[in-house]
Amino acid sequence: MQRRKLLGAASLLAVLATLGLAPVIAQQEPMVFGLITPLSPPGETALGQLAKRGAEIGVEYINEKGGVLGRKVALSIHDSAGKNEQGVAAYRRLVSSEKAVAVFGFIHSGVNIAVNEVAKEMGVPTMGTQTGASDVTAKKYDIAFRTHAVDAPRAATWLGWIQKNKWKRVTVIAETTDYGIGLAKETEKQSKEKNLGLEIQTIMFDRTTTDLLPQLLQVKAFKPDAIVNVGVGQPLDLMITQAHTAGLLPGAQMVTSYDAPARPQFWQLHGDKGVGISFVAFYSPKSELSDLGKEFAKRYQAKFNEPPVYAALNGFANAIVFADAIKKANSTEPKAMIKALEEGSFTGWSTTPVTFPRAEGALWHNWSPPLMVLHYTAKDQTPATAEVAYVLAQ
Amino acid sequence: MTPETGWLPHASRHLGAAKGWTVIFSAELLVQTVLSGLMVGVLYALMALGITFIYSIVKTINWAMGEFYMIGSYIQFVAVHYLLGARWWWLAAIISAAGTFLVGLILEPILIKPMYARPMQRRDDYATVVTIALLLLLRSLAVALGGPNQYRPESDLPVVWIGPLPQEGARVAAFVCALLALAVFWIVIKKTWVGLALRAAAQNRVAVQTSGVDVYRLDAIAFAIGVALAGLAGALLAPLFMVFPTNGAVTTVKGFEIIVIGGLGSIPGALVGGLLLGLAESLGAAFISSPYQNVYGFLLVIVVLIVRPDGLFGERGREA
Repeated sequence: MQRRKLLGAASLLAVLATLGLAPVIAQQEPMVFGLITPLSPPGETALGQLAKRGAEIGVEYINEKGGVLGRKVALSIHDSAGKNEQGVAAYRRLVSSEKAVAVFGFIHSGVNIAVNEVAKEMGVPTMGTQTGASDVTAKKYDIAFRTHAVDAPRAATWLGWIQKNKWKRVTVIAETTDYGIGLAKETEKQSKEKNLGLEIQTIMFDRTTTDLLPQLLQVKAFKPDAIVNVGVGQPLDLMITQAHTAGLLPGAQMVTSYDAPARPQFWQLHGDKGVGISFVAFYSPKSELSDLGKEFAKRYQAKFNEPPVYAALNGFANAIVFADAIKKANSTEPKAMIKALEEGSFTGWSTTPVTFPRAEGALWHNWSPPLMVLHYTAKDQTPATAEVAYVLAQ
Repeated sequence: MTPETGWLPHASRHLGAAKGWTVIFSAELLVQTVLSGLMVGVLYALMALGITFIYSIVKTINWAMGEFYMIGSYIQFVAVHYLLGARWWWLAAIISAAGTFLVGLILEPILIKPMYARPMQRRDDYATVVTIALLLLLRSLAVALGGPNQYRPESDLPVVWIGPLPQEGARVAAFVCALLALAVFWIVIKKTWVGLALRAAAQNRVAVQTSGVDVYRLDAIAFAIGVALAGLAGALLAPLFMVFPTNGAVTTVKGFEIIVIGGLGSIPGALVGGLLLGLAESLGAAFISSPYQNVYGFLLVIVVLIVRPDGLFGERGREA
């Protein structure tokens, strides 16, 4: 009896396939967007969570508007934990098993760079959500796209802030990752090229190090006016805490290389010691949003009872941009999608249109958000109430 | 380079900018770095002591030691942040150590005891698999319960000056408490009946068993004391190194480095190994090259393995 039923089902499938109805059934399957982001330590989990929130709202929004090419979009979330090998494994699985058509959510440059090496062979385009190292796009791979500030404008931002305050002695303390090394080199390079007359001390550290006091004692001996904290996640916070231990703070000024202090738990971690910290930010609640950005902000506020921050805005916009590129290409075929991304102009969260020109160096396939330095002058401030200490001219 | 000012004679010297980083040398900086290394070394030693103590009694390496460190740090955070407040950090540390002791006392009969209670040929393999599984379970549990975020218990201890070195109050408190814990541990082991029984079990399990002592009970106590030391280290270091699901991983590696340096099963070895590791890392990071801070410890391990394969205080194994 059982065997007869099985044979019947198999015959029905064979008939459907013959009549060309199988593609119709396949079309009902959702189109998969892959999200590879750090959701567990040692990755920058806070940013990973934010990018995930944004991407989830993005996919909800796309599906409410009818999906893409008649298909719903499904978001497949993978945890990179900030580890290159884990990110690469996730990409392979997304593309080969889950048939993902686009992959984004990258926070760690090293993971993004490692994935791109595989992606250039497997073909499915990637988008760096918050990865800053030049090599993410500077290798000029067709599949590599990014919506984040690269090393050069980021270093220019803190150098501009340092110049504005007429500081002369600067320490760059950076982790030994693609991100940290790239930013340390770029800071030294620009300081020389622009003849800023700065004395720069560069100190590198392994990002698994928990005791940074030996390095910070070296910094203290140098007596810097300003310290550029190029740690990601835990090292960034350890550096703030231990710089106080070493007696470096609050004397010197510290700027973090990205907007980690915008996270809600910043004040729980640092309390009074967070006062005086500055950070490079890519979005301030005072910034103007596109209509799409306003719609996202409304949904985000309703869902999480807090205003959106940059990583969430980018996670959302990445999903929307990929969906729009597929619509423009009228295909999920990677080459057609890449062409649409290169030639199109897309609406993201900002009022500035999102474009991915085949530009030189790290600006290849790169859209950069506005850059600024925000400064906490009192405890429990938020990016909305922080002082805007410097804005990089676009 | 600007000379240092302070209580030591100025001997500031620029060692050059090798591979992009500048190294400054002065007598004052040297003293600061040595003090910093010694302080962190004592804290590392606390972790190593737990590992080596469990090994000496139960003859098992507990690969999940870092996760007991992590449990201690979470208990400390919850106790300080939600229940007691920063003033009562010391009581929270005692609660954290007691909490991890209790967890160890509950887990040992379930996971480790079967190794001895049942006939088993490959005990080491069993212990490795069981404790690694425990590591993954506890880490996943922490992510599920506390999320992936970092936390930090509040500390209102003022900065303390140790010679020329300003030290966060929490670090000095951790250092003093670690020394106290080591002293209490030594007294328990050397001066109490339980300590005598534990030392006897470390020397000859069968002889102790034939004398009528419940060795399984001793195993549970030893395991619980060992993990409580890790839990105490986690609690004391929580304000400095923060609280998150994998915070024990690095400290565990340091613990294993220390027991190789000091000798597996040696209690003085754990203390001396911790101090040497702390010094090697601090001095290497400050005056040689900071990106390789974690490498200096491994170099020390290699040197010790070449010169004294059983560790500085380890006893050479005898085989029939």
